[in-house]
Amino acid sequence: MILSLEMKKLKRTGIFPAFLIGALLAGAFPIVNMLARAETFTSLPGEPLTILAEANWQMMSMINLLVLLCGACMMYHTEFADNGFQKMEMLPLSSAGLFFGKLVILLLLLALMLLTETASLAFCAGRWFPGSVFSLREYALSAGFWFIAALPTVILTLLIASAFPNMWISLGIGVILLFTVSVFPQDNPVLILFPFSTPYQILALARENGTAASLLTACAAEVLALSGAELLYQKIRRCFA
Amino acid sequence: MNIIETKNLTKSYGDFTAVSHLNMHIRKGTVYGFLGPNGAGKSTTMKMFLGLTKPTDGSFSVDGKTYPSDRRAILQEVGSFIEAPAFYGNLTGEENLDIIRRILGLPKSAMNEALELVGLTQFRRRLAKKYSLGMKQRLGLASALIGRPPILILDEPTNGLDPVGIHEIRTLIRSLPQRYDCTVLVSSHLLSEVELMADDIGILNHGRLLFEGSIQSLRETARSMGFPTDNLENTFLAMIDEDNRRMGERR
Repeated sequence: MILSLEMKKLKRTGIFPAFLIGALLAGAFPIVNMLARAETFTSLPGEPLTILAEANWQMMSMINLLVLLCGACMMYHTEFADNGFQKMEMLPLSSAGLFFGKLVILLLLLALMLLTETASLAFCAGRWFPGSVFSLREYALSAGFWFIAALPTVILTLLIASAFPNMWISLGIGVILLFTVSVFPQDNPVLILFPFSTPYQILALARENGTAASLLTACAAEVLALSGAELLYQKIRRCFA
Repeated sequence: MNIIETKNLTKSYGDFTAVSHLNMHIRKGTVYGFLGPNGAGKSTTMKMFLGLTKPTDGSFSVDGKTYPSDRRAILQEVGSFIEAPAFYGNLTGEENLDIIRRILGLPKSAMNEALELVGLTQFRRRLAKKYSLGMKQRLGLASALIGRPPILILDEPTNGLDPVGIHEIRTLIRSLPQRYDCTVLVSSHLLSEVELMADDIGILNHGRLLFEGSIQSLRETARSMGFPTDNLENTFLAMIDEDNRRMGERR
């Protein structure tokens, strides 16, 4: 029930078109890149998916994160703008349920974006690397890896959005984090484990560097820690309200 | 029988005590007027009843249930309206009430009844953000009244309404105990307003309960204390002034 209620609350907020546009924009990026300079990439050795991901994923991931950040802010702005959240708190509902309902919607939208983007990469591989062997398993693994790598970031953006009734504060914090972490050196084994940094990783390269397992373990630990932090926040904030 | 009771209920924010050792008794099936100047602690008390803020000390029970263990059970039977109307501006009035209806597990007819009760039926398909202040206030009341809850907690429910709206809402609140067998806790800083709808009143100042009882007993108490009794507003103001003066002396 909580999921359908959360979906209903998002009516007329523009969040669904925003994700659709974001997915199309990120999906169009590798196609435009290949149209503009195909030879640069087709001449490289290696698997087409790895070449395409290395060439495009940084930008595609940044688009994903920006859209997710805006989505999380819009979700809680809808709650705080006209005190809807306060009404929810006066009803026999679990506040944690509201948070995790929103999280599930964001994750579904993220999955939709990743599906579009992976399909776009597969299209580019088929169109510009005709001799290569298409492996659905590899594409599915990559998409799954990107999904798991983005989980801590999604939870963190939602946690920030839930803590600040003023949307511009949560949006500002998110943008600062996004751009600060994006300048972290991507070859540092510790820095790449932070939320906002993990979504930039590529499965093939992580396997090559032997960091795939540690990355996934770090993401799982961050998911648990951030979910715990949200539950704790829900408990203590009534003491200060 | 008291449906809401508090025992030394206290809420402090650092050095500031918003509600101090409050002992309230609200009888079942009555309208209880909660009076006090701005900042007296009325809203904080109501927020504690609804679990929006945690008491620093003391306890309260609502229909025999205690906070925090029975928080959800309390909220299941309390309709509330606190400070300002709370709604989703991107949804219509009807959609707003539908969300609450589904959370409370009520039939669709409950939504239509609530809209009818506050006179919003013809505007039910308009976006809530496009409502006038009075209509938003009515929507807030509808969301409190939906499903005929046995207890209603209303904080300044007539704010922003025109005189006709004030009269309508006052008449509605007055009629609720008889119509739906419910108990109403309504706050206001206007004694004239409360006088017309309350059976019992509680006067709060600086977080402390100065008086609790019927309007008749307020008159008697005021007379015995040498306060004016010709006009209840003057009685109220004299009590508050006297309390403020004593507080000043203590400091």
